[in-house]
Amino acid sequence: MTASYDDLYERNDDVRMYVYREKSDRMKRKIQRILVANRGVPAVRIIHTCRDRKINTAVVYSTPDRLGHHVFMADSAIHIGEAPPTESYLDIDKIIDAALKSKADAIHPGWGFLAENHLFAQKVIDAGLIWIGPPPEIIRLMGDKIKAKELAQKANVPTIPGISDVNDVKQVQNWMKDENINFPIMIKAAAGGGGKGMVKIENAKQLAQGFSQARSEAEKSFDNGSLLAERYIERGRHIEVQIVADESGNVVHLFERECTLQRRNQKIIEEAPAPTLNDTLRQEICFTATRLMRELGYTSAGTVEFILDTRTKKYYFLEVNTRLQVEHSITELITGLDIVGIMIDVAMGKKLPFNQSDIHPNRWALEVRLNAEDPKNFSPSFGTVTRFQVPHGPGVRILTGIYEGADIPPYYDSLFMLLVTAGVDREDAIRVMDRALSRNLRIEGVKTLAPLLLSIIRHPVFIAGDFSTHFIEEHMDELISTFKEKNSEDEVLKVAKYVAEISALGPQKWM
Amino acid sequence: MDVRPGMQKIPLIKPGMSPGEIVKTVRSAPGVFFSSTGMRDAGQSDYKNRLRLYDLKTLAPYYNKMGLFSAECHGGARWHVGILNRKESPFEEIETLRELMPNVLLQTLVRETNLWGYRPYPKNIIEYVVSKVDIDVWRCFSFLNDIRNMRAVAEVVMKRGRLFQPAIAFTQADWTTNDYYLEIVSQVVDLCGGTNEIVLCIKDMSGVGSPKRLKVLVDAIRQKFPDLVIQYHRHITDGLAIPALLAAVQAGAKILDVEEDSLTRFYGQAPILALHAYLEESGFPVNIERTEAEHAVQKVREWIGQYDWAESPFKGYDHNVRHHRMPGGAFPSSFEQADNRGFLHLMPSILKMMSLYNRMIHYFDVTPGSQITWVTCSGIVNRYAKEKGEGGVRHILKLLTKFIEEKWQRFESMDPHEQEELLGLFQNAPGDFKNLLLGDYGKLPMGWPAEWIYRSAFGDEWESRIKERKDLSPLDALDDEDLLMLRKTLSEAIGRKPSEEEFILYLMHPKNALEMIEFVEKYGEAPLVLPTSVWRNGLKKPGDKVEFEFWGKPYTVELVSIGAEHEGLIHVVMRVNNNTRVYTVETPRAKKVAIRMAKGLGDVGAPINGNVWRIGNPERGSLKVGDIVHKGEEIGNLEAMKMENAIIAPFDGQVMEVCVKLNETVQEGQLLFILEKS
Repeated sequence: MTASYDDLYERNDDVRMYVYREKSDRMKRKIQRILVANRGVPAVRIIHTCRDRKINTAVVYSTPDRLGHHVFMADSAIHIGEAPPTESYLDIDKIIDAALKSKADAIHPGWGFLAENHLFAQKVIDAGLIWIGPPPEIIRLMGDKIKAKELAQKANVPTIPGISDVNDVKQVQNWMKDENINFPIMIKAAAGGGGKGMVKIENAKQLAQGFSQARSEAEKSFDNGSLLAERYIERGRHIEVQIVADESGNVVHLFERECTLQRRNQKIIEEAPAPTLNDTLRQEICFTATRLMRELGYTSAGTVEFILDTRTKKYYFLEVNTRLQVEHSITELITGLDIVGIMIDVAMGKKLPFNQSDIHPNRWALEVRLNAEDPKNFSPSFGTVTRFQVPHGPGVRILTGIYEGADIPPYYDSLFMLLVTAGVDREDAIRVMDRALSRNLRIEGVKTLAPLLLSIIRHPVFIAGDFSTHFIEEHMDELISTFKEKNSEDEVLKVAKYVAEISALGPQKWM
Repeated sequence: MDVRPGMQKIPLIKPGMSPGEIVKTVRSAPGVFFSSTGMRDAGQSDYKNRLRLYDLKTLAPYYNKMGLFSAECHGGARWHVGILNRKESPFEEIETLRELMPNVLLQTLVRETNLWGYRPYPKNIIEYVVSKVDIDVWRCFSFLNDIRNMRAVAEVVMKRGRLFQPAIAFTQADWTTNDYYLEIVSQVVDLCGGTNEIVLCIKDMSGVGSPKRLKVLVDAIRQKFPDLVIQYHRHITDGLAIPALLAAVQAGAKILDVEEDSLTRFYGQAPILALHAYLEESGFPVNIERTEAEHAVQKVREWIGQYDWAESPFKGYDHNVRHHRMPGGAFPSSFEQADNRGFLHLMPSILKMMSLYNRMIHYFDVTPGSQITWVTCSGIVNRYAKEKGEGGVRHILKLLTKFIEEKWQRFESMDPHEQEELLGLFQNAPGDFKNLLLGDYGKLPMGWPAEWIYRSAFGDEWESRIKERKDLSPLDALDDEDLLMLRKTLSEAIGRKPSEEEFILYLMHPKNALEMIEFVEKYGEAPLVLPTSVWRNGLKKPGDKVEFEFWGKPYTVELVSIGAEHEGLIHVVMRVNNNTRVYTVETPRAKKVAIRMAKGLGDVGAPINGNVWRIGNPERGSLKVGDIVHKGEEIGNLEAMKMENAIIAPFDGQVMEVCVKLNETVQEGQLLFILEKS
């Protein structure tokens, strides 16, 4: 039997949000089959934990994903539509239908797509299914960047100076004048995330074009065009705190991650712990995050993101991500916990089996995102993966959304694999990552960021841990120049290609 | 005297020795030295330069222990054919051979100002290129024997402490007298500051020197320059090479060019073992380890069978070479060209035409002169054959014979209609022939040709063209070229910084160098690691495999199957170190989907791969042909993996064409819009 939303939550007007009903109501929830409302890497990640827990899995797929890796891994799969996300992975009704049809009792949204769509979460619950994630109302509040910022301010969490509900360029100009703000500034989709609908404006000339780009991306990605403008923290470092919380009000942080290495506001390398923080600052940020989430009445897994101004050592609240994050793996590696497992347990109404004092990270972990992109210019590279050999050996964890022979379609996110390494300290984790990227990884058929990632982790500035969110753009030429030109595997394939052509065509005229 | 380690009584000559030391060693040593052309001219003369490094390098260990004066392994047409046909870089060749035979002087052949190309280069390019190539012995010839043209090469080589070997082009004709050659040799000795740091080469590239003529010539040179070390390079085309080589030695030549007996066919150098035996029997000891030479001769037999296809279709000695003078190095390629273009049957007439031609215009038949002779003469004969049939060919040969042998080339003494016909002779001559007449290559050895030849070649403009004629060496006539600019052009063509080696390939043969670079990017080291049978024919049957070492590791490429052709594609399944791989091979019938790329000034291309989800912008809506756009205005937008990328108008202008449709998937660089600047 599954419980409906109203069984689980009740409105508490004192805190202006929904809170859980009595515990006894909730213990009845059982999860035997989960529908994963996602594809690629996140779907595969969730299926791994389900297999651990002997929970059945069902997935949905769009036409081009018919032979996708997540489809093969799941126990059952349901076709839900054509390639465009709006006709498949973003179609709420089709997904809920699929869950009901496949007799799933819960839905995990993964990350991206509908993961932070409160309407979806609500409809899942309304359909009598268990929603594996935070309460819809919290998703709604946190999804509205303006509301989130207000709530953070209310909870005494420092926030970046800015204005919300921006409708035109004039408003931005006035705000900058009134508050004495200089360029650069950020224009963000109020409903944003993942770097989409986020545009940095360097000077007055770029304002109009950047503004309309942010609006258009916001409308397209989130179906919501409202924007906010903020001061841009130069040379900021991106720190985020992983939180897990149960319905009994236990809120525990699993320490922080640093995700400063980004390009076009999308993270590509993350690590835990953050090399920038000393213990005092670390405790302060982590407890600030815990406090905020406790005051929000958060449950399940979530992340509080901050930007740290290294010059002033001040940190500012950015947003709460009300979902499992791509980079959760590094937290799992340093703590030994399974965050997806915790989400499932919390969704079933279980209490967290640990207290804050039980959490003792004892590793350093590094994650790189392997995107199917040209490492020189980030131009997307889609097509068939003709060869796929992944690294092994001590300290390596692989999460892949593809297999050899699979297609990477052009319609979705370019992330196809996460490569995570761990060591006793940062140096150790970097060394393992170097080995994994340079010696064992082999991907043919599409271009990947691997050469760029290797150049970054070998760069002295990265090794020193002294970088900002601009590191990649500032060092791009240098990074490209250190791409390894050749390896014998690639070179011998060229020889084999020659043999294949001559074998098929015979001696050539030019000979 | 130092002797070579492990070799009895063979004087020590090795890389690193100064030119002075080398010359002194040769002068004072008893007996004769050999230079092997097995790695260059042998292959050029009988196998169209197709002998691959893969096979030639098997000789290197023997050469290293043979006691050779030098190994000619570089230069001449081998350079160009390397990048054109074998896809071997001359730099890789030197590097490989240097490693495998560190005791042997590596020798190249350069065409004075033409280096390894086919046009005169300015001084700065010559100096740059010569200073970058790791060669010990620089044999340098001029097809005009215009010694002035050798200056730039000589200076850089001698300054680098490498051995400069000026070569005088030799032929046997009424005008190539002892006096003529003594004058040339004097100029050489002057250029090189004496005889102590050079070896003089007599380059008998057509193989025409009679034993008697050689004896007299070498003797005359030796009498005037007793210390000058003389090397005789002779092709065997006329069938008289071995006695001629002995005659040269009898007169004092110290070094002879040879090749493996098993490589010897009809147009290359003399066979090493036979010549060795003949010289020893005649009382001239040879500084060579014969056993090693025998091993090398035997080694050649293991692979030479792979090259039957490259041999000249014209086989056997040709004593008439002393008339037509086609150089050994040009035999296979000329006959092949005649065969491919369907005029093999005209070859006797063309050779006859060449015999007549070189009595009217005097220079030496060696690159680039031999190409000028060949193209001009084969052109005339082909034209007559086409217009007037075989009778026409016979007629023009007869007319020219009469002109030369009966009228002593006095144009006025021919009948008016014959004069008219002679004036038509060179009207379609190639541009290089005309450039030669204008002095672009330097001055001709016996002065400029007769006036009627200019009238024939240049028509009404002949008088003004004669006024343009230069007596200067190209070294003095040509302006330096901008190396930085040339390097930049190459960088742009290949989209990256070129290596030093790639740049030099490009300087010599720009178009072919680009093709070579593209080939290497596509097929890597295939030309170096594949055995010749696989290089040429691939793998034939399922289960056939090729094994090789690559960067220190073993590899096996095995054929599993070759599919049937379907719509211009063949699927080839192979196992590369046990991993199965499928290669899709395009046949010449493959359909090419042409994607228009942005190239021109007004072309706006896609910055990334993506989907065109908007044309125009939200303010103005879609764009159509004729619309005016402004610099910085968004004219389209690409979406890729959920990120937007605005396409911005690069200038104020008008839309001439919208090259894509809405929602079309485009690739990076694909043409989106054509704008016209306003």
